[in-house]
Amino acid sequence: MLRNAFLSATRAAARPVCKRQQAIARPITRINAFQKNQLWFQSARCYSAAAGLSQEEVQGRIMDLLKNFDKVTDATKLSTNSHFSNDLGLDSLDTVEVVMAIEEEFSIEIPDKEADAIHSVNQAVEYILGQPDAH
Amino acid sequence: MASRTQSTATQARSLYRSLLRESNQFAAYNFREYAKRRTKDAFREHHGESDEGKAKGLLQKGLRELQVMKRQTVISQFFQLDRLVVEGGKTGKQKGDRNDIMRVKDQG
Repeated sequence: MLRNAFLSATRAAARPVCKRQQAIARPITRINAFQKNQLWFQSARCYSAAAGLSQEEVQGRIMDLLKNFDKVTDATKLSTNSHFSNDLGLDSLDTVEVVMAIEEEFSIEIPDKEADAIHSVNQAVEYILGQPDAH
Repeated sequence: MASRTQSTATQARSLYRSLLRESNQFAAYNFREYAKRRTKDAFREHHGESDEGKAKGLLQKGLRELQVMKRQTVISQFFQLDRLVVEGGKTGKQKGDRNDIMRVKDQG
């Protein structure tokens, strides 16, 4: 009898959890009485798809950003594979500022270690493309 | 020696980044811009610091300033004023997960 009571108690505790799990996977369309038993087939996760940045877009946005950055001495040297310090004449502090501007542009936060490794436009583009939540 | 200098430089960059990030959190335009400008100027001023001890001292000072700034940004967010005209209206895309109206796009 104790066992039965225990079982019913655990079942009661487990029930709300199951209900919430169902709420996550929502059917796409409204269901009518006919479709009700086909619910398992229609249920899908309604999350938005990844934005999927293309390489050209990332490059273009980073180049625009650098074009407007007032410390870039020689704008003619600005290309997709230019190095921040060797080609554009930026020092380490400017590089930090550029990387932070890139962070803001793509609304991500780059950790210190990765941010210190970004020294050129190419590396920045590569890093952004590797980030699923950049947009 | 080289590696120690390297680590000081890394620390300095990290501190610079934290200070600039924290500056952006000020709700009031004037404080925000001042904090950013002051941070940039201070780092520029001691950019070529070669004395290890002095650099360490400056880093300590920067860390203290960061603590002050953290406190002040929180306080500034309690007392928000209307946006100034120079900040522009609430146009453009709101970025990031912070959904504040105080965001203003300012780079460089």
